[in-house]
Amino acid sequence: MNGSSAGGPSPDGLEIRVDRVRCVGTGLCAAAAPGDLVLGDDGKARPRHAVATASEELTEAAEMCPTEALTVHLSATGELVAPLD
Amino acid sequence: MTTARPAAPDTPALVPLHCLRHAEPGPPRLAALSTGTPVWVVTRHADVRQVLADPRMNRASLFAPDAPAITLVPNLLDDPQALLNLDGEEHQRLRRTVQRAFTPRAIARWRPWVASVVEGLLDGLEEAGPPADVVGAFSRPLPVAVISRLMGLDGLHYERLGRWSDHALSATAYTAEEIRQAMQEFGQFGGQVVAERRKEPGDDLVSSLVEAADRTEGVTEAQLVSLVCGLVVAGHETTMTSLGNALVHLLSEGTDGWARIAESEANAAAAAEQLLRAVPLGDQETTPGLLRRAVEDVEIGGVLIPAGSVVAADARTANHDPAVYPDGIPLFEPLDTPSLTFGAGPHHCLGAWLARMELELALHGLARRFPALRLVDPVEAIEWRRGLLTRSPLRLAVAW
Repeated sequence: MNGSSAGGPSPDGLEIRVDRVRCVGTGLCAAAAPGDLVLGDDGKARPRHAVATASEELTEAAEMCPTEALTVHLSATGELVAPLD
Repeated sequence: MTTARPAAPDTPALVPLHCLRHAEPGPPRLAALSTGTPVWVVTRHADVRQVLADPRMNRASLFAPDAPAITLVPNLLDDPQALLNLDGEEHQRLRRTVQRAFTPRAIARWRPWVASVVEGLLDGLEEAGPPADVVGAFSRPLPVAVISRLMGLDGLHYERLGRWSDHALSATAYTAEEIRQAMQEFGQFGGQVVAERRKEPGDDLVSSLVEAADRTEGVTEAQLVSLVCGLVVAGHETTMTSLGNALVHLLSEGTDGWARIAESEANAAAAAEQLLRAVPLGDQETTPGLLRRAVEDVEIGGVLIPAGSVVAADARTANHDPAVYPDGIPLFEPLDTPSLTFGAGPHHCLGAWLARMELELALHGLARRFPALRLVDPVEAIEWRRGLLTRSPLRLAVAW
């Protein structure tokens, strides 16, 4: 895992992690949650902000990733919040 | 037999796909499609990845009114309403109706069931006794059984499915009119399945995608039907081809690979990944790669590709790029860089994880049950399915 990290001070803050080996740049996440994710110059996804807030779009972005390269965690505890079974 | 036409008697023998030579990757170069349309062929791993992932090159513009001709004989892949040929929002809308069913975790839930289908087919092989045709008894029925079950098409006869698939991915085997007729018939079948599941939904993939599509504004019936037909073909044809050609490699190269694949599912998974990378699906005679069209000027590998150009991403050459992968097929080495077999970017293969799992379980099951499996005939005697975009053995006699 090589996410852009930094746990935020807010207890509800979320951390988006992108596994850069698994990511194949489908861009499906950035299309689902353009406010949270963007495809970088290397063609791989990266989070726009160090701390994200929960939204349907972000959950969908994590659920849409065909390679499960994208996970969303609680910044405070690291607990996985998406994708869930 | 519903496969494509057999070769004429004087046709020279074809080499197995793992023996094909690959060009040295280099900067983009200009070539021509069979239609005479100029095409930029891209071969280096990084460049191929860029072509497939960069939104400045897409599929939809290949079908725009001003687009140059890309094929002499259109097949299923040339349907402008196919998922493959949609881009941007339209693509996202349709893809999200099925994407969740194909994530690694969603596919892993099918694992015990797929393993049981593998065991059942192995029982049949064992009972029949050697010599047996491992294509007819194993590598063809396995993917058909899996996709039929996933899509709730258990009553679908293989003969019909095989006929549609062969026409859908035809290169030279059939005339344009034969393909058009078969695709019309196939489309009617797809339309019927969609209508049935809308009326009486079940727990299958078609029911869930129809339900998702009906909740989504903007997904057309034509797109939905095309998606169902695409899933049927993609779900069986390519997996059967990979498995057949993987067996040709493993059983003819006389390595210790077979024994190690029998040892563990992890070994089988590693081997499947390497075989998927290194053994191409076909001869790539009709197009030099996965086609895209530049919607604006774009620089690839130091070369300026002008807006409107057709670009071919040659994934098979890139999968052998010496800058990224070592020579040969090191079966049990993990891939540090994902191969481009399933593509990259928005059109990355929907069924990649299903294909991986089927290949892994099939190879492991076969190697464990038949540790002494061998080809009965020399590879030069293999009869191939010809005239299609894919090439795989028509039959493969084995003994143990």
